[in-house]
Amino acid sequence: MQRRSWAEPFKIKVVEHLRMTTRAERERAVAQAGYNTFLLRSEDVYIDLLTDSGTSAMSDRQWAGMMLGDEAYAGSANFYHLESAVREYYGYKHVIPTHQGRGAEHILSRLCIKAGDLVPGNMYFTTTRTHQELAGGQFVDVIADVAHDPGALHAFKGNVDLEKLARLIEQAGPSRIPYISLHATVNMAGGQPISMANARDVSVLCRRHGIKVFLDATRAVENCYFIKQREPGYADTTLGEILRELCSYTDGCTMSGKKDCLVNIGGFLALNDDDLAEAARNMVVIFEGLHTYGGLAGRDMEAMAIGIRESVQYEHMHARVGQVQYLGEMIEREGVPIVRPIGGHGIFLDALAFLPHMPRDQYPAQALAAALYVDSGVRAMERGAVSAGRDPVTGENHFPKLELVRLTIPRRVYTQAHMDVTAESVVGLHRRRDRIVGLKFTYEPKHLRFFQARFEPFEGSKVLRD
Amino acid sequence: MKTIIEPFRIKSVEPIRMTTREQREAILQKAGFNLFQVHADDVLIDLLTDSGTGAMSSEQWAGIMRGDESYAGAISFYRFQERIQELTGFEHILPTHQGRASERILFELTGGPGKVIPNNAHFDTTRANAEHSGAVAVDLPIAEASDPACRHPFKGNMNVAALERLIADVGRERIPLVMVTVTNNSGGGQPVSLENLRAVRSVCDRHRLPFFLDACRFAENAYLIKRREPGQAGRPVREIVREIFSLADGATISAKKDGLSNNGGLLLLRDEALLYRASNLLILTEGFVTYGGLAGRDLEAMARGFEEVVEEDYLSYRIRSVEYVGERLGAAGIPIMQPPGGHAIYLDAAALCPHIPREQFPGQAVACGLYRLGGVRTVEIGSVMFGQGAALELVRLAMPRRVYTQSHMDYVVEVCASLYDRRDELRGLRIVHEPPALRHFTARFEEI
Repeated sequence: MQRRSWAEPFKIKVVEHLRMTTRAERERAVAQAGYNTFLLRSEDVYIDLLTDSGTSAMSDRQWAGMMLGDEAYAGSANFYHLESAVREYYGYKHVIPTHQGRGAEHILSRLCIKAGDLVPGNMYFTTTRTHQELAGGQFVDVIADVAHDPGALHAFKGNVDLEKLARLIEQAGPSRIPYISLHATVNMAGGQPISMANARDVSVLCRRHGIKVFLDATRAVENCYFIKQREPGYADTTLGEILRELCSYTDGCTMSGKKDCLVNIGGFLALNDDDLAEAARNMVVIFEGLHTYGGLAGRDMEAMAIGIRESVQYEHMHARVGQVQYLGEMIEREGVPIVRPIGGHGIFLDALAFLPHMPRDQYPAQALAAALYVDSGVRAMERGAVSAGRDPVTGENHFPKLELVRLTIPRRVYTQAHMDVTAESVVGLHRRRDRIVGLKFTYEPKHLRFFQARFEPFEGSKVLRD
Repeated sequence: MKTIIEPFRIKSVEPIRMTTREQREAILQKAGFNLFQVHADDVLIDLLTDSGTGAMSSEQWAGIMRGDESYAGAISFYRFQERIQELTGFEHILPTHQGRASERILFELTGGPGKVIPNNAHFDTTRANAEHSGAVAVDLPIAEASDPACRHPFKGNMNVAALERLIADVGRERIPLVMVTVTNNSGGGQPVSLENLRAVRSVCDRHRLPFFLDACRFAENAYLIKRREPGQAGRPVREIVREIFSLADGATISAKKDGLSNNGGLLLLRDEALLYRASNLLILTEGFVTYGGLAGRDLEAMARGFEEVVEEDYLSYRIRSVEYVGERLGAAGIPIMQPPGGHAIYLDAAALCPHIPREQFPGQAVACGLYRLGGVRTVEIGSVMFGQGAALELVRLAMPRRVYTQSHMDYVVEVCASLYDRRDELRGLRIVHEPPALRHFTARFEEI
């Protein structure tokens, strides 16, 4: 069948120049960065697929909103615009801005978790789990097993396994479970969505036991796009309506506006409970800023309010997810192992299948990300053993089932030609995969080690042999 | 030429909305007589704070467009880092989303139960963060600081003898660091002299204690040193700034003041072990070390702002325009904290309405009066903000940088003078709702 093309529902208004580098320059740069793509300088990067967080291009309307920033310390008009956009599209009662998503996670964890608590969730996320642990809690994975199988095709691989959750509630007792952290989509599983039915069932189960449900709504609109595409009964429902329904099954959310909301900075905590919201407002002022700005400039709240309205436009999301699919299909067609089905915000290379010759303690995903940079200047991110860190009790490496390299697509930034270059590099590298060399730590931070860790090639002096 | 003009012209304006006295009366009632609860578009002249409310320059806005939003290793970060290294002489610079995040990280790492943190005068969020960690925050101002009428040139100075006594009393092992706030905000925006900073440094050296600055208004402090301290008149402000920072082992800075930015903060450190721990906490709660919870464009705006703020023409305009308001209020007989500080005029509410006892919050009554009469928003710095520990009952008229003109200031002076004429009509307030910490932001009041 003839492929039906989509086109972006926008044209380009402002451009940012890129610097081309040679392979020799990149070899030097990656060695200087300790073979950690986080430590590369952005000017040495050609196509930056490190993250889709805060890297989007804003629209001309958002930039116009930037000029409408009301920088008053208290009661800024922009706060009220943001509050009304969140209420309208997400449907929560109380909105507390934070400087970014982890600010909201920090406050929610401190408010709700006490020592010895268990916090179930559909797969861990790095900063979320660390906040839960620092508050004295322990994360318990209740995602469906299929999520851990990179090749398995399932429409909603992010779903919570209700039996696992019910068993946990029965064994631990509801009093030790302050809330479930429900991610939509699930980043660490490859941007996989949850279904509306699953969210509804989780909500019913939790409400029966008096357990709160908090949504990690970072990419919830992308999740809603998949519900519209894949779940029976939603084809004719708008993204805005689907989002409202999804949120209605939860008691609040943490939000990094740097993803769905199309901004470079900003987040919020939204809550329905009056008392919890009051406590959160008292805490946000100590850590973030007064509750009508939460550590953001007024202009950033305005850009986020406008971004929320743009994010639920079908044409935007169709182009967004369509671009990710385009890249994924090109790579998959050439036999490169990736997480399937293709998720909402990136392509996740299955590093274990990509580099079957490399032992796990040589961090195949880290090595693959470094080699990809050397080959073409494309910056990707490791999402495997290095990100998973060590067990806080035993000190042993976590070796998660998924050892992935994430090619994350910033929103509205790169063109089809950029995607073609990326695919060519990945495919070419797969053909020369035996030349990729494993890595070993030379410096390992205690918390969130992936950000600042340094490595060197396990043998020789190059991560990608000539 | 005697008149000092603004060393800039206006490139972009923001309309302000006029309100009637009746409208403001209703707004005050709805806001529970707490000006933090008033919507900004209901305010005519907003002197609530100079924090984050400044006007950026066209060069800063150009930087906003140039922001590199890469998650890691953004060029904007390196430009920012180089600028701050050059300005302060510090090598290690962590960006944060704003000043209180720098404070939180510093005190989470160094504070804790049993610890005592001395400061010339903690500001509200500094105190809250120190106390939130379990530490005790101790203010050690000089005696002259508590007399609003006294014209000491450096009323922000730390009482060095009291610091020595505190160290002797509690023991150096309970004091993780000594902090000095420049300029001293809760004490009237008063500067600290170089001589005093050197004396504190030598006490710290003798007891092997780290010395930290809360350096939000370092440039204004440096300029006041140049103007007031013997032997400093001929030195460039940049050089004085370098010396101030050279005395310290670290600093927290809110870029929303002398960074001439609408958000952003910094944590400067020398100790590499502390830097390592601070970086980990930064990543967890703020953002990666090359963006610290800010957009790349904000780093650009800060880099440029920290350059513009040490230009002497700017500082001379800035300090002079605050002085101008102080002189006119003084001429009208209105009691203010003398001499005028760097960023604000502080009305002495206790002297202004002696008929309102302290437990009925005279400062809050004056602040509400100014709003009711002229739509001018100010902030109480007294018993509402600091509880029974408040040394003075002040109302701060904080001047946003590069935002208001002389005619705005003339209007503010008229509102103050008109309130002063009718000061007997002012009524005290009682609290009807109070949160557990930082109550001044969200408490509700009613008139007695």
